[in-house]
Amino acid sequence: MFTNTTTTRKNSNRLAGKDLINVGIYSAIYFVIIMALAMTGYIPIMMPLLCVIGPLAGGIPFMLFLTKVKKFGMILIMSAIMGIMMALTGMGLYSLPVALVSGLVAELIWKRAKYSKASSSVLVCGFFNIWMWGNFIPLFINPDGYFSTRTEFGAGYEAALTALLPSWMSPVLLVSCFAFGILGGLLGRVLLKKHFIKAGIA
Amino acid sequence: MSLGILQTTGQQRGMILDPRTKLLLLITVSTFVLGGLGGEKFSSVIPALCLITLILLLTAGRIKAAVIYLAAYLAAWLAALLLLPQLSGPLYFLVLGSVGIFSRVMPGVAMGVYVVSTTTVSEFTAAMQRMHISEKIIIPFSVMFRFFPTVGEEFSAINAAMRMRGISFGGGRIGKMLEYRLVPLLTCSARIGEELSAAALTRGLGGNVKRTNICCIGFKMQDVIFIALCFTAFAAVALVYLGVL
Repeated sequence: MFTNTTTTRKNSNRLAGKDLINVGIYSAIYFVIIMALAMTGYIPIMMPLLCVIGPLAGGIPFMLFLTKVKKFGMILIMSAIMGIMMALTGMGLYSLPVALVSGLVAELIWKRAKYSKASSSVLVCGFFNIWMWGNFIPLFINPDGYFSTRTEFGAGYEAALTALLPSWMSPVLLVSCFAFGILGGLLGRVLLKKHFIKAGIA
Repeated sequence: MSLGILQTTGQQRGMILDPRTKLLLLITVSTFVLGGLGGEKFSSVIPALCLITLILLLTAGRIKAAVIYLAAYLAAWLAALLLLPQLSGPLYFLVLGSVGIFSRVMPGVAMGVYVVSTTTVSEFTAAMQRMHISEKIIIPFSVMFRFFPTVGEEFSAINAAMRMRGISFGGGRIGKMLEYRLVPLLTCSARIGEELSAAALTRGLGGNVKRTNICCIGFKMQDVIFIALCFTAFAAVALVYLGVL
């Protein structure tokens, strides 16, 4: 009996199967939403706006996900999954390192908040969404290379996108991901209070 | 159900590939066709990769998916060839953009459909375990792939219900539109998730012992051929990059 309790206590901080399944489920929902929005990116004006609507809409499933996060590592795994999925869908490899760093920061903040503080959860949502900025890095560090791989979109697309995304937009997009991530987090909290806590799933 | 093409039934006959080969093919198609690796010089690789995707869909017995893919790809190609010279102004850029996106995204999506629909979760897990990837990545990933069709199914059902109530695009109520779709989707996903974890726990997921797997996976002749093709493509890009070719 005694050994039994000690093993459960020892393992309570380890990620169990249930936690990993939760990570998978919420990653799937988050990824589907982000991908559906990203499809609009071929309208040039939507490209920078993705850093606005992506974090806003993604904040809703993420805030629900945060209510299930009680152990270290879950946010980090979700970040890594996003980075890997971006590599698998041909968006480039830059998202993965960005996602790992932003995910780790989000993870540490959430750990400091003892996995429950409401104000911190909004901040965590802001930091988590920074991974999206990684998709824009190739546009800024090597625009010629980026457009040479997208010639069939036409010169009009290239001109419009170059005009919309001069190099000073890079930090702007980073801040926008963070700021709208926070707003998305607030939106998510409103919906949490309005629906999910009442329905007993948060 | 249109989403039936994503549902996994496993592969009973035809050319069976190792899940690892399938993943390598998916990465190759998405980096070359979708990501446009290599640029202009490698534009001739793209039709070959599109053809491989088509052949794989056919060998897996996914005739319907293969026909849709072929028709969509040909339509985009014909639009670029015949429709574009007739157009001008913003309409030209719109068609050009959609054709570009379509011919770029379609092969990656078709390959994704092939990989997801022919690989069972057990096969995927077995392949990942052979690659010595941590369980912390394998379990979320396999749940995710298992969950994509569910999300799509639930979403189309919710969509139909909301359309009936008149909550759709053009109603001028974007906020409501988002809220009335996302909240039911998240609610039922959370419930399904709980059932899924209960089912997985009864199968011994997340225990302290190493789980066994009865799936026979391994590299065969066909795997070797496809892996060689993928590596040749990547090696050619590396050689061009180094200035050898």
